[in-house]
Amino acid sequence: MTQRVITADGLAKLVTEWAKKGAVYAPVKAGSKDWTEFRRVTSLKETDFSRVNTKQSAKGLLFPQREVMLRFKDGKSEEPAAPEEQVILGIRPCDAAAIAFQAKFFTGQGQTDPYFKARLDRTTFIGFACNTPAETCFCTAVGGSPSGTRGLDLLLTDIGGKYLAEPVTDKGAALIADMPDPAIGDLERKLAEKCAEQMPQAIDTAALKRRLDSGFEHPVWDELNLACVNCGACTFLCPTCHCFDVTDEERKGRGARIRVWDSCQFCIYSQHASGHNPRQTARSRYRNRVMDKFKYTVDMVGELSCVGCGRCIIECPAGIDVRETVEVLTRQLPEAAEKK
Amino acid sequence: MSREEALRKRARELLESKQVVMVVGHRAASTKGKAQPAFIAKPEDAESLIFDETCGQNLAGHLLKVKHLGKIAVVTKGCDSRSILVLLKEKQLDRAQLHILGVGCEGVKEDGKLSDSCITCEYPNPIVCDEMLGEPAPGDRLQTLNPKPQTGELTSDERWRELSEDVSRCIRCYACRQVCPNCYCPVCFVDASQPALVGKTTELSDNMVFHIMRALHMAGRCVECGSCARACPMGIDLMKFNRKAAQIVKERFNVVAGVKEDDAPALTVFDPNDKQEFIR
Amino acid sequence: MSTAEPHPQEAGSQEPEPKIVAFLCNWCSYAGADLAGISRIQYPASIRVIRVPCSGRVDPFHILKALQSGADGVLVSGCHPGDCHYLTGNYVARRRFAVLNDLLEFAGIDPGRVSFSWVSAAEGERFAEVVREVTEKVKALGPNRKLVKEPAS
Repeated sequence: MTQRVITADGLAKLVTEWAKKGAVYAPVKAGSKDWTEFRRVTSLKETDFSRVNTKQSAKGLLFPQREVMLRFKDGKSEEPAAPEEQVILGIRPCDAAAIAFQAKFFTGQGQTDPYFKARLDRTTFIGFACNTPAETCFCTAVGGSPSGTRGLDLLLTDIGGKYLAEPVTDKGAALIADMPDPAIGDLERKLAEKCAEQMPQAIDTAALKRRLDSGFEHPVWDELNLACVNCGACTFLCPTCHCFDVTDEERKGRGARIRVWDSCQFCIYSQHASGHNPRQTARSRYRNRVMDKFKYTVDMVGELSCVGCGRCIIECPAGIDVRETVEVLTRQLPEAAEKK
Repeated sequence: MSREEALRKRARELLESKQVVMVVGHRAASTKGKAQPAFIAKPEDAESLIFDETCGQNLAGHLLKVKHLGKIAVVTKGCDSRSILVLLKEKQLDRAQLHILGVGCEGVKEDGKLSDSCITCEYPNPIVCDEMLGEPAPGDRLQTLNPKPQTGELTSDERWRELSEDVSRCIRCYACRQVCPNCYCPVCFVDASQPALVGKTTELSDNMVFHIMRALHMAGRCVECGSCARACPMGIDLMKFNRKAAQIVKERFNVVAGVKEDDAPALTVFDPNDKQEFIR
Repeated sequence: MSTAEPHPQEAGSQEPEPKIVAFLCNWCSYAGADLAGISRIQYPASIRVIRVPCSGRVDPFHILKALQSGADGVLVSGCHPGDCHYLTGNYVARRRFAVLNDLLEFAGIDPGRVSFSWVSAAEGERFAEVVREVTEKVKALGPNRKLVKEPAS
């Protein structure tokens, strides 16, 4: 599809236009805090694209931490209104890929989650390619790219005051159809590719997966898990983590069925009604998260559930770095014979 | 010899002579300005131990994970030692199975800034220890750095609004609880499901109840190490609650958590003459 | 029922009562309430009594849960210090309530939303007085809007 160049003014006009038709979410500086977060905006002026990643990923815009699934009153239930059309502007390629990954779970396994699907169908993803990686970025190590287009409708690359716009879907092409169409210089393309050169080398994730296949009971887990405090910060900030719990709340005959995020790091996550808990120990919960990222989801939907955004590294209260964990596992777990 | 050198040397000796089975300390994390708890079992690994302004994690809680292994040596700054005292009083640790390596602490930093709790810290040196490594930290330095933050005279509604702003950012990841050295209940009140005490949603009401109840459970036990505030991914100043709880306990019952070896946790005992001006 | 039930304090003209959950200890305050009843002492019909073995049984959670569930006020009442049926239950409870009281004030829950009292089995008139006073305080504060949880919103 035809690439175009959008000026900053042009983008500002587009944002104002989109905001009239539906909700536009973009990274905004979080008050006095030193980070950005996705908030609803009405103009480009409110946005702040200076950080590589927002504090929380954009996953909450499709899969909110607290979502009312239905309301009930006096024995009758009522479904919430259909979600609004929304544009997510400035989502990074890693976060967009994560949502595409989540879509596999929520819509691709024979069952469709109507809540996620309804939002996904009404969302336009306008990505922002990364020009400079953060210290904690490693998307290239897990198959992504700072200018990756997966999950996006349109990818914008900052080429110094202007944006190179690359449509990925027809929806994305339509957004910029009215824009002028000047020739794209080589220099501008180069700028977009520069970031990938500064990123880490790819991990041999297939080899890691083979190691994990036979490494469930390996003693390396005894040491690895010690530093982990078993909080849910990594899972809640992770753009691919998508576990949830459903809870009914009621007062005076009125109530709601509410879906909330859940985390495999919490001890009650896997507790059975009988009281038995197959993942009783901190060690088993820590192992579960690593296994899930690099093995279980590969078994289930054929891909890793880590997009390399680095949020878990930044926010881990115990200073655990998943890149280091992967390195230790690759070094210490024996590689099992490849199954044919 | 610097604290760090003394620490590595002693850790190695203790492990080599088999006086302890493990040294719990800090090591550098991969990202700048962060440290990771280190569990050193081999003498040669003692070289990876560090002690500097990044070592903000309170190690007392980590002891509970490894105490079954045998005698443990633990790197202990002022706040860690206070937490250890609280845990000893609550029968969670056995003093005979601990070798406390005391270190003076000049305050820990977060994003290059001295942590709030360290600004107001009155106990930079361990209250209990088996040996001090390096020089103790100057005891009065931190207090003079900055006075205690002013709370100011706000109305009920203003206070509610201010705290609501903080608390509504909470994503209920429980990092605060998990890093807290003195939060060790096998089933936390928020995890209780039969009956469920606190709602699992991130509604303001539930978030507020969680934070009030946590402060209440920490009253008389919180040593104000600030681990929770530093751990919070959403930047909530959790110490607002805990500092208040500690202040209440000090003013009402004249108890400061973890500074004496022989007093009981404030809320497990009573004085017939406790003030009761709030009771009709 | 068609529309949401209006709040009793906003509903009508005849000054409806706020809803106050009262945790009364079995040995003193509950008996005191009983005595007030037997003696036909008038007090506002605002309280919903929950009988507990001792004021020491009242977990601060019960108090917060009552507020979350829509109570406009909470009253906790037990034996006078020294009179506890279990000797020291109310002394230990007193420390807990003191911390809760101060923390609630700090969090901006209006003072007066949660009240504590000591009422003995012989103090029927005092019980009525406490209820009148607590009811007036809660009425003056208006409906509880801060901690109440509206799951359907």
